[in-house]
Amino acid sequence: MRIRTAGVVAVLGLALAASGCGGSDSDKPAAKESAKAAGGKLVIWADDKRTAALKPFAEEFGKENGVTVEVQAVSKDLQTNFVTASQQGSGPDVVVGAHDWIGNMVQNGAIDPVQLGAEQKSGFNETAIKAVTFNGQLYGVPYATENIALIRNTELAPEAPKTIEDLVAAGKKLKAEKKASEILCLQSGQNGDAYHVYPLYTSGGGYLFGTTANGDYDPKDLGVGKPESIAAFQKIAKLGEKGDGALKRSITGENSIATFTGKKCAFLVSGPWAIADAKKANIKYDISPVPGFAGGKEAQPFVGVQAFYVAAKGKNKALAQEFVTNYVTKPELAVALYKAEPRPPALTAAFDQVKGEDPDLAKFSEAGKNGQVLPAIPAMAAIWDPFGKAEAAIIGGADPAKTITAAGKTIAGQIK
Amino acid sequence: MTTYADAPVTNRNATGRSRGRWFAQVGWRHLVGVLAVAFSLFPILFVISAALNPLGTLSSTELLPTGASFENFTNLFQDTPFAHWFLNSLLLAGVASFASIFLSALAAYAFSRMRFTGRRVGLLALLLIQMFPQFLAIVAIFLIFTTVTDLWPAIGFNTPWGLFLLYMGAALGANTWLMKGFFDTLPKELDESATMDGASHAQVFFRIMLPLVAPILAVTGLLAFIGTINEFIIANVFLTEPNSKTLAVGMFGLVAGERNNNFGMFAAGTLLTAIPTVLVFQLLQRYIVSGLTAGAVKG
Amino acid sequence: MSTSLSGPGSAEQAPGREPVRRGLPRTSRTARNHAPITATGLVGKVVLLGLVAGIAIWAAFPLVEAEHWIGLGILAATTAGLFYLYLSRRHIPAKYLVPGTLFLIAFQIFPVLYTASTAFTNFGDGHRGSKDDAIVAIQTSSVKQVPGSTEYSLSIATKGDPATGALVFLLSDPKTREVFAGDAGGLRKLDAGQVEASSLTGKITAAEGYTILNIGQASGRSKEITDLVVPTSGGAIRSNGLTRAYEGTAVRAYDAGCDCVKDSETGKTWTADPGVGSFVAADGDRLAQGWKVNVGFENFSRVLTDPNISRPFFGTLLWNFAFAIGSTGLTFLLGMGIALALHSPRMRGTNLYRVLLILPYAMPSFAMLLVWRDMFNTDFGLLNNLFGLDVDWFGGSWSARAAVLLVQLWLGYPYMFLVTTGALQAIPRELTEATSVDGASPWQSFRAVTLPLLLVALSPLLIASFAYNFNNVNAILFTTEGGPFPADNPTNGATDLLITYTYRLAFGAQGAEYGLATTVSIFIFAIVAVVAAISFSRTRKQEEVYS
Repeated sequence: MRIRTAGVVAVLGLALAASGCGGSDSDKPAAKESAKAAGGKLVIWADDKRTAALKPFAEEFGKENGVTVEVQAVSKDLQTNFVTASQQGSGPDVVVGAHDWIGNMVQNGAIDPVQLGAEQKSGFNETAIKAVTFNGQLYGVPYATENIALIRNTELAPEAPKTIEDLVAAGKKLKAEKKASEILCLQSGQNGDAYHVYPLYTSGGGYLFGTTANGDYDPKDLGVGKPESIAAFQKIAKLGEKGDGALKRSITGENSIATFTGKKCAFLVSGPWAIADAKKANIKYDISPVPGFAGGKEAQPFVGVQAFYVAAKGKNKALAQEFVTNYVTKPELAVALYKAEPRPPALTAAFDQVKGEDPDLAKFSEAGKNGQVLPAIPAMAAIWDPFGKAEAAIIGGADPAKTITAAGKTIAGQIK
Repeated sequence: MTTYADAPVTNRNATGRSRGRWFAQVGWRHLVGVLAVAFSLFPILFVISAALNPLGTLSSTELLPTGASFENFTNLFQDTPFAHWFLNSLLLAGVASFASIFLSALAAYAFSRMRFTGRRVGLLALLLIQMFPQFLAIVAIFLIFTTVTDLWPAIGFNTPWGLFLLYMGAALGANTWLMKGFFDTLPKELDESATMDGASHAQVFFRIMLPLVAPILAVTGLLAFIGTINEFIIANVFLTEPNSKTLAVGMFGLVAGERNNNFGMFAAGTLLTAIPTVLVFQLLQRYIVSGLTAGAVKG
Repeated sequence: MSTSLSGPGSAEQAPGREPVRRGLPRTSRTARNHAPITATGLVGKVVLLGLVAGIAIWAAFPLVEAEHWIGLGILAATTAGLFYLYLSRRHIPAKYLVPGTLFLIAFQIFPVLYTASTAFTNFGDGHRGSKDDAIVAIQTSSVKQVPGSTEYSLSIATKGDPATGALVFLLSDPKTREVFAGDAGGLRKLDAGQVEASSLTGKITAAEGYTILNIGQASGRSKEITDLVVPTSGGAIRSNGLTRAYEGTAVRAYDAGCDCVKDSETGKTWTADPGVGSFVAADGDRLAQGWKVNVGFENFSRVLTDPNISRPFFGTLLWNFAFAIGSTGLTFLLGMGIALALHSPRMRGTNLYRVLLILPYAMPSFAMLLVWRDMFNTDFGLLNNLFGLDVDWFGGSWSARAAVLLVQLWLGYPYMFLVTTGALQAIPRELTEATSVDGASPWQSFRAVTLPLLLVALSPLLIASFAYNFNNVNAILFTTEGGPFPADNPTNGATDLLITYTYRLAFGAQGAEYGLATTVSIFIFAIVAVVAAISFSRTRKQEEVYS
């Protein structure tokens, strides 16, 4: 008997499911119809954080112009999903993401170049414009730049270290005095983190790609596996678990900031996104450039740029261009986006406006002054994984020469 | 346990030997139970402490909460469409698990009780089709649902019904084998005699087989419910509108990326997510524990 | 789902449409019992088939509107097939199989076959679309502003209805304040007296004889605006959004004559290479935008010959089996052990134990996988801190494997505990008591009576669990991500399953390589199919016991 009831419920459930399809149908297209009547619809894809930040402004844009704007979040694999969806014609009109996606999105014909007037262009920070330029074309409108820096707890370490050796010495001293349990919080994890270790790699003399005559990165000149990279990793190995113990695989993206805010290490290598946590935990901190090796080259962090792109196969390209080239380029929006998420705005005017109230911003930007623009060429995608794993292995005590040569081979094999 | 408290009480003044006997008969069982509960709970305790800690992080070393506040819970409801996610997940998991066990029970009945050409090939194909990685099929899913969204937006991207249809595609592969195995253990004489009495195949199915396999329906129902709540890969590409997301997708978004000050909210969400599953379990557990193999042993 | 609860009669005649049968003898008992059910069955059948028809009609309208005749044909055929199937008295197995199978075909088999077909192509990043797509992408991405040209303020206007009238660009030069009207026919100067313009930007706000579209109206005609190109001597004026326009020219153009792309600035040409799906220049330089081409068995030979792919394949396969067997076996052993311990008539509080023990199973697994990953951290992890260990869990091959299995154990044993408890309840106590009367030790009676009965009952669950764990991506991706990796080979780690390894092949290199990943999947598929087919032929015996 019980089961017969269950059967009836099941059938009803299915019927409801089916009629649900029919039922919701009646209002959905109606809504779509009305949107059409009032104007076009603009769909924006971004990651979760930016979706939240963008939403009010996108809605504002919609209200001003009588169009519908939807900001949607793709939590994981935004770039891959955007490219796949675009290809099939179900992608958005605008996508927001890091500038190093450009190469891949261009080779898949997923984004169009944007045309900024000379005057508009000059309003942006030069590095940001350089970052979104690919094969001589501008592919996105930048809104924020970001780079990592050394954040230190000024109660534990009042002085900014000049070299990484100074830092290690100071960290060791704190550790010996039981004031801290770690020398340095630089995230690596078991599979490494190429982005965070890059300043040390450049300071040790390593490079990723050479540059062609016109200043573009050249995928044919791969620096990983070259003698310079081996030398750099030999220096990094000395900081590793078998050496000073400043770099550890146990420090991961999940715990590095928490360890710093928990006052267990005095030095943190991280970006503007770490500041909110530090403030929340009432840490007294200061920001300085990531120091390099004594007598080594300059430590250059990667400079990344967050940008808006116009999808090549969007349904409403004209509106997308209008939004990206004319709305996103307004300083008011850049300031508001900064308030939602504190990253240095790419528009000089907006940057100057917020600089006064936020000294951290200028410090981060100072730390990124000598930074290298993250390569946007598709070949860069082949670097991350093998490079990170080689880093982790070397920090854990593997032979730098052998490991990095193998990583270089793997990367070279994956670059077309 | 309280009802049995008299056992140790009567033993209080007894000799060590009788206490030993109590231990040999019942006590060790409680010891195992307590150890198992400890094993089950300590990672969860960790989540609770992260959820209560206003500076919540999943990577602190403290097992016990360092601060107690419900800030993370309130933030979850204020800053994210958590209530939407929750309802979406409940609706989807409820409907999808019900429909999918129904579909697979139908198929399992046919595979178990009827003989037809292609039966064994069909069974093998069902097992194998699951071995194909889903993340590769995503391109094809985009292909299908781009057309579907154009034609019927009500079952297209960003709708629970579209996702429901997709999950139905996996219904047979996931559960048919399981159910067929249990249908097999029911003695054939049962339905044969019913057929003799004039029952149709549908009556045999609805009135004889289904009541007997109630425990396995409950098990697969629970499995399907949990599976749908946890499904991430497909839902992530399917649902992009913040309000249409499921718990798995929405909560992953909280911890995706480099910023980790959402871990407290994530932990809070994890705890809340467990509630419907525990309730469904409570609802179903009497079927599950009331004898999974009733048919087999009686037969 | 549309099976009827039909009236009395033998099984062959069972699924009837009419509530009353002619000429069939039946006893009053069956009549009394079955008559109402027949009505239910009939109603159910009518309702469900009505629903099918309703859905079909609902689905048909958009298809007709889109003139999607093939789709309509499929829809009509499916609906007709369903009606035939459930109204006829034959094809009984199909009545039960079709509902699930329809979904299976649409959302599993079709995607799998479609994906499998890409194994013979170079489908992947840079080679996703057709050649035409690539040409369009190359041309659009080469549009450059003509040096020194004017940047105009743009107003979109029409002489007719805002929603349908032919579009005209009303352009004004912000510097000289000259105004123009442009359409596909070219650019004509307008008399400044004819228009009103914003003093700030020079944008035309009204013009004689034209209706100016506001942004909302214009955005509804986005495609037409994007496609409208006003030819000029130096290139063409294109819209840039809805309020600005620029004079640009496509530097690169496709020439069908030579099947090549020419760059008008540098004079370089790239010729189409249908073998690789790219435009390649004489010096080997290749344009980024390629297209999808058939490459035959190239991916297959690459899987077999590339040492980075083929060398770790069998090691990974072995671990994959060990992982699936280990996950299933360990959870079963622990779950069963605890179930046995708690299974005693003298035991009190089992309900409480059950609720607490089931909790790991109720927590969302992806969240708990992340929690466990952090618990295994060498310096900060709870495990090392709690037990005073200094194990580099995820750093060593064997410790990482053990860790992954431990996590699986935690996640999975409550389920096994639960089902074993259920199965134990069903074993009559007399059976075990009988053996102990015979003088058997508890272990002996467990081996001889309980375990075999449990295995019979639970083997389908164990098989299902094995199949699930064989492809358990999350268990690896959310914990070790496949690591640790040998220092000299970052592509294959100690805890990699075949599926995570394929995932890395597909997405880890320079862009996604679907073609290659699919090929690897086909190899995995073939191996599993052989294993499954062999073990399947054995189950025939077991099945016969019951049939």
